[in-house]
Amino acid sequence: MSRIYRFLDERLNLGPLIRGIADHEVPAHADPLKNLSAMIYCFGGIVFFILLLQALTGVFLMLYYVPSPEDAYASVNYIQNETSFGSFVRGIHQVGASAAVVMVSLHMARVVFTGSYKKPRELNWIVGIFLLLVVAGFCFTGYLLPWDQKAYWATTVGVNMVATIPLVGDFLADALRGGKEVGSLTLVRFFVIHVMFLPAFLVFFLAAHFFMVRRQGLSRPL
Amino acid sequence: MVLPGAKNTLRRRAFFVTGIKALAGLFGLGLGIPLAGFFLSPALKKGRQEWISIAEVTQLRDGEPTKITYRYARKDGWRMSETRRMAFVLKQADGGVMALTNRCTHLGCGVDWNSVTQRFTCPCHGGAFDAQGRVLEGPPPKPLARLPVKVEADTIFIQDAYA
Repeated sequence: MSRIYRFLDERLNLGPLIRGIADHEVPAHADPLKNLSAMIYCFGGIVFFILLLQALTGVFLMLYYVPSPEDAYASVNYIQNETSFGSFVRGIHQVGASAAVVMVSLHMARVVFTGSYKKPRELNWIVGIFLLLVVAGFCFTGYLLPWDQKAYWATTVGVNMVATIPLVGDFLADALRGGKEVGSLTLVRFFVIHVMFLPAFLVFFLAAHFFMVRRQGLSRPL
Repeated sequence: MVLPGAKNTLRRRAFFVTGIKALAGLFGLGLGIPLAGFFLSPALKKGRQEWISIAEVTQLRDGEPTKITYRYARKDGWRMSETRRMAFVLKQADGGVMALTNRCTHLGCGVDWNSVTQRFTCPCHGGAFDAQGRVLEGPPPKPLARLPVKVEADTIFIQDAYA
């Protein structure tokens, strides 16, 4: 392992790159070894870790999942009951989704209570809000994919909430559903939003989020 | 200058580094094994072999293979699909029955029996087999596969090779 690293480092001079990414001091106030309550500074990192887990299990779930009304439920059922480790992989993805929301909430609470959203970090708070929307989008679109009763009615209700927006609501709801009723078009577009559009947004906003954290450093607590 | 206790500090650091690596490894295995198993699941699955009735003995011609097309419901992932297959059934000299698949052993094209030349020929790369399925010419490396076959009350049953 270290020989492979030396081989690459000799040729590509990786040292500064890796130091730039990984080698930075944890400020004393955010060091859980000095003060256990500093664990609250880990929440964002835990969110990132869960998102990685979601991406990994999600890619594998796509091996079997088919986003069509005829196949969706049967393919999820197949994952759950007939593949090896299927219920485990899907279980991680399902529990992970809830865990991500919990950790995002805790992370945001930490940022609020330490006042970390204030100048000069307002931009990162805004990027964080976009990330919150992306995570919510993942939850909303992912919920439909098993195509069971709960999925169907949750989406019906959710999209009808969009329809209550004054003036543009109905149009937005139709655009989201791909028509007047939740149906095959809804399933495909929710799937594509879930596995293509949102991951692209996620990568973009996460990159911005991390870039700003590293440029600005952790805030001091109040 | 060596600080007092520096040696201990280093050991402590080494301990944590090893610990973190072990934890990462454990986590990697805990995730890697299920994911790999999940991916490989269809390849590791054993198909269930069932006897499929395909013909009556009286349908068989004497002396040369009879082409028999049969259908059966096969599990295809999460759905059942009706599969149409072809086999060649031949009465043997000893009164037994032999069934051959029509899959060429070269690259899997469908062979057909030519009653003029008295051989199976493959349209893809010119492979040829005799009535018993033995290779006569061309690229096929081995004889046509025989299917498990049984006869009960004059009905011929086989087990499909790809069930």
